[in-house]
Amino acid sequence: MGFIMDGLDAEEYDRQYTDRDLVRRIAHYFRPQAKRMGLVALMIVLNSLAYTGLPIYISNSIDRVQENTSTNTLLTIAAVTILLGSLGWVFNAVRRSIAASAVGNVVLHLREDAFDAVVKRDLSFYDSYPSGKIVSRVTSDTQAFSQVVTLTMELFSEILMVVLLVSYLMSVNIRLTLYVLALAPFIVVTALAFRKIARQTVTQSRRINAEVSAHIQETVSGISVAKTFRQEHAIYGEFLDVNKRSYQINLRTGFVFNSIFPILGILSGIGTVVIVYAGGLTAKDGALSAGDWFLFVQGLQMFWFPLTSIASFWSQFQIGLAAGERVFALIDAEPKVVQTGHDELAQLYGAITFENVDFRYNEDEPVLKDFSLDIKAGETLALVGHTGSGKSSIARLITRFYEFQGGRILVDEHDVRSLNLANYRAFLGIVTQTPFLFDGTVRDNIRYGCQDASDEDVLSAARSVAGGDWLDNLPNGLDTEVGERGSNLSMGQRQLVALARVLLQDPSIFILDEATASVDPLTEALIQEGLDTVMKYRTSIVIAHRLSTIKNANRIIVLREGEIIEQGNHEELLAQNGHYAELYNTYFRHQSLEYIEESQRLFSAA
Amino acid sequence: MSVAKSEFTVQNAYSYNQKDARRWILSHIWRYKWFFIGAVLFSMIDFFSYSQGPVQVGRAADEILNPTGDTALIHIGLVLLAVLMTSSFAFLFGSLLVETLAQRIEADARQELYISLLGKSQTFHNRQRVGDIMARATDDVKQLNFMLSPGLRFIYETVMGMAVPLIYIAFIKFELLLVPAIFLVCYGIAVRRYVRRLNPVMQSQREQFGKLNAGLEETISGIEIVKASVQESYERTRFRRNARLFRDYFVKQGQLEARYLPFLLYGIALGFTFLHAMVLYRNGSVTIPQIIAVMGLMNVLRFPVFISIFSFSLVQLGIAGADRILHIVKAETELDENAGGHRHDIQGNVTFENVTFAYEGKDNTPVLENISFHIEAGQTVAIVGQTGSGKSTLTQLINRTYDVSTGRVLIDGVDVREWDLTKLRSQISTIEQDVFLFSRTLAENIAFGAPDTPQEQIEQAAREAQAHDFIQSFADGYETKVGERGVTLSGGQRQRIALSRAFLSDPRILILDDSTSAIDSATEDEIQQAIRRAQQGRTTLLITHRLSQIRWADVIVVLDHGRVVAAGTHDALLRTSPHYRRIFARYDVDLPPLETPDAEVNAETAAREPEVIA
Repeated sequence: MGFIMDGLDAEEYDRQYTDRDLVRRIAHYFRPQAKRMGLVALMIVLNSLAYTGLPIYISNSIDRVQENTSTNTLLTIAAVTILLGSLGWVFNAVRRSIAASAVGNVVLHLREDAFDAVVKRDLSFYDSYPSGKIVSRVTSDTQAFSQVVTLTMELFSEILMVVLLVSYLMSVNIRLTLYVLALAPFIVVTALAFRKIARQTVTQSRRINAEVSAHIQETVSGISVAKTFRQEHAIYGEFLDVNKRSYQINLRTGFVFNSIFPILGILSGIGTVVIVYAGGLTAKDGALSAGDWFLFVQGLQMFWFPLTSIASFWSQFQIGLAAGERVFALIDAEPKVVQTGHDELAQLYGAITFENVDFRYNEDEPVLKDFSLDIKAGETLALVGHTGSGKSSIARLITRFYEFQGGRILVDEHDVRSLNLANYRAFLGIVTQTPFLFDGTVRDNIRYGCQDASDEDVLSAARSVAGGDWLDNLPNGLDTEVGERGSNLSMGQRQLVALARVLLQDPSIFILDEATASVDPLTEALIQEGLDTVMKYRTSIVIAHRLSTIKNANRIIVLREGEIIEQGNHEELLAQNGHYAELYNTYFRHQSLEYIEESQRLFSAA
Repeated sequence: MSVAKSEFTVQNAYSYNQKDARRWILSHIWRYKWFFIGAVLFSMIDFFSYSQGPVQVGRAADEILNPTGDTALIHIGLVLLAVLMTSSFAFLFGSLLVETLAQRIEADARQELYISLLGKSQTFHNRQRVGDIMARATDDVKQLNFMLSPGLRFIYETVMGMAVPLIYIAFIKFELLLVPAIFLVCYGIAVRRYVRRLNPVMQSQREQFGKLNAGLEETISGIEIVKASVQESYERTRFRRNARLFRDYFVKQGQLEARYLPFLLYGIALGFTFLHAMVLYRNGSVTIPQIIAVMGLMNVLRFPVFISIFSFSLVQLGIAGADRILHIVKAETELDENAGGHRHDIQGNVTFENVTFAYEGKDNTPVLENISFHIEAGQTVAIVGQTGSGKSTLTQLINRTYDVSTGRVLIDGVDVREWDLTKLRSQISTIEQDVFLFSRTLAENIAFGAPDTPQEQIEQAAREAQAHDFIQSFADGYETKVGERGVTLSGGQRQRIALSRAFLSDPRILILDDSTSAIDSATEDEIQQAIRRAQQGRTTLLITHRLSQIRWADVIVVLDHGRVVAAGTHDALLRTSPHYRRIFARYDVDLPPLETPDAEVNAETAAREPEVIA
């Protein structure tokens, strides 16, 4: 319904490609489909010929029958009519099937390229674009782009039909044809005007629908509060108000959409009457046969339907092109992390050196300046500091998720830029603040880093985290489905799975961004036990949020604004009474045993 | 403050037949029967006049072939104009009537659903996912709307669009009905077959698109892990497989649609009708103008052939939507109000006696098994256990969100099932993990349900909950609207707003799911202070991650797999429970020697312990 209204929800996007570039890019994807597209074009021409030929043939036949009613003539006429109708159908069917394969392949190819481009990006790319937008470029924009093709084919075939029909009509009677053509601007203008009105009402409808959703969402989420306080009537009153406005606005939108076809019908009705009358006069004068007169009457109706869709073509075409541009822009973006070599390491001991490293996420905010740090193989290093002090950046540079601007980072004496990234990263084990799990079982997730690990290996990795006690609390053990992003598991359980995942990888360097969210004390104890196992014999770099981790570290690095201002162990640093002491009082005091023991005295008097 | 009854009724509400989806939809339509009857009448006028078009064209052809005078053609032209205008306007009015009907029914159905939602008990709402209800109140009612307009309209237009031209053809020459009639039968069979084959493919295509999207979304959200684990090629393979499958369904759907048989049948029918007409013309029983009229009428058939594909699926979707709405509307509350039950002020003694609980319907594995313990009025109990050990479920048995499967829960010695539900719940306050705040001002949120509470009382409650200071720090203070202009409250702040509410409503039993975490020590101090104050003078059940609260609770209940494995004070548990000792093993505590290693296994002995302490 209402193809005139298609594609109204488009946004304006900047054009980045010249037309010539765009055409070249599009042509690149269609070249493999050239044969198919050629066939499609042929089918369009044949179909248009059959489709316009049918009424022309019928009207001619009506004239012929008046002179010759031999059985042969009648059978021939019927056979040709059926043949034209069937051929039209066959051509159309072939065209659509082939076009579906061609478009399907182009979209597939485009999606594959877009995906490959996306995974090649470094993490700075993912920081600047929300995942939803990237996803829609890869899946929806590619689909929208394919519309360009479908639309172009439709337009091609409709214009062809109109041209064929009009030229035939011209050859029959020029004056009447001009009458038919005079109708065109009215139809086009009406269709465009409707688009404009519809655009407004649709926007309002969308807004009120969002309001209705928001209202219901809020009241249903908070219904227990509303019930506790007996506020149902007040809420119901608000609902009635929103619901009524929604009714009114949606009704108006519905009215607009329902008027377009009757109004176009009125226009074509007036046109029909003009043709019937004017054509009738011409026919009476003998300048037109009855059959041709009938053709004009029918032709008018064949004419206005394609016109309305041609009227809405251009804006839809632009929407499709813009979608194509977004996809190409995604494919063409340059990754910032560039490797200079592809050295593979057979073994990694885990010594890391930062030599005068400069790093910033964007021009204005330097994060690390002339930063130097030596980490010995097997050392456990805790990084502490306020937000923005650069502690996460250090970990991210080691993983080579981001490019740094100056200095060098050496791993076992190798420049990190000269390494084969896949080979190097296989030696790293990373657990992030909110550990990410993939939809699937716990077993799948533990195995994620080593797809060919056996079930026994997975089990023993799981067992070595906190003695495997946590497995008993999963409803189906290792076969428990973790749900989308691990939502079936608690945050603590997700951490345990992530630890097991890292253990199976057996990394040389372990990087942990500790979670700030609290987990239940029993799980917390299990996680700590798990960490002990992972950190043993490995270079460990911990962005520490827990007092117990800091206390166990070989060395604590105290960071402020990208500089190391203190280092040492917990007792030494606390005794210095400097920045570390301040950090301790701000973030860690409440995690201490003293605090737990004193809390009764501190708060019960209040 | 009192808990609402689970009935919420609106006076003079229209009542619909809720027996099944079809009857329900019909009863909604029946409410606006005149709109419906009007729409059908207009549609009849539309098609009768629209089909008059070809008849008048035939008359004009007659006039051209056998002229009768100068004015005759003008006359026919004017009649034709009148006929076509009547048709267009009838089409317009009919559509607007159906549209009004559809929009009204959408609004009515949503209202009906909403009223029933307000009437449902807390038990119902606790079990129902918000997203699910949202889908019914928005998408499903929209589906109902589309089913009526254009779905229902398409149906009667198809019927009339086919019947009326045939009637006219019959009037022109009855025999000419032969071919169109055969066509109609074949058409019906072809459409049925088409819909049956297309629907599953479309369904699969939609699902596959969802999979493609979800898979990609997952890869991108987890990109750090993908890269760190060097699994780019694995993800690529997965994506390509999904994208390829989608392509296959897309092509398959395209091919099915390309072979939409009814159009071929129509073309053949057109040829045979023409032949039939010509044969009759040779016999002299039909004239040329009549052939023109019949061929014009055959043209009218093209439209219903085109639209009928949509009407079937629209109606199917509408009925499915109605089913889902009705499912919610008809869902019954299992807990009875027990309006005449025990009505007293609660002292706050809570006793669990051999309580076992399993959710209905699921595999019947008990979530809680044989739980027994006793809390004296005014005591604070900390419940400790891993996720899934049954902590929340245990507290939900106290306010009868759920009823026990076997055993008893007693408050002040009376089984909760014997209490008047309203009286019981009004004296028990639960502060959940995710505190819900309405998008209103903070003052309104604190005094929710008691709009007349003086500002001083609101502020007093906020002070007690340690919320006053951070509220004052907002530019608009107590008038700050939640969720506006970037004002987002942290979990700890939300919790303290909820505690302010509790200070105002003064419940006798407070259940607190305290899993919020403070990032800095100053906030931790404030949260501690607020909760300590809330505990005073009321029985408190704490599900908490805070060791300092567990440490100093009057009773600590350790749950594991739905069983009480230990219960007692901190000191006692350090001596007897290996589970509990594990928590403190990380701290440099001088753990006392484990006294009876097997004490933990014997839940019943452990459970009796609190009584000794109390």
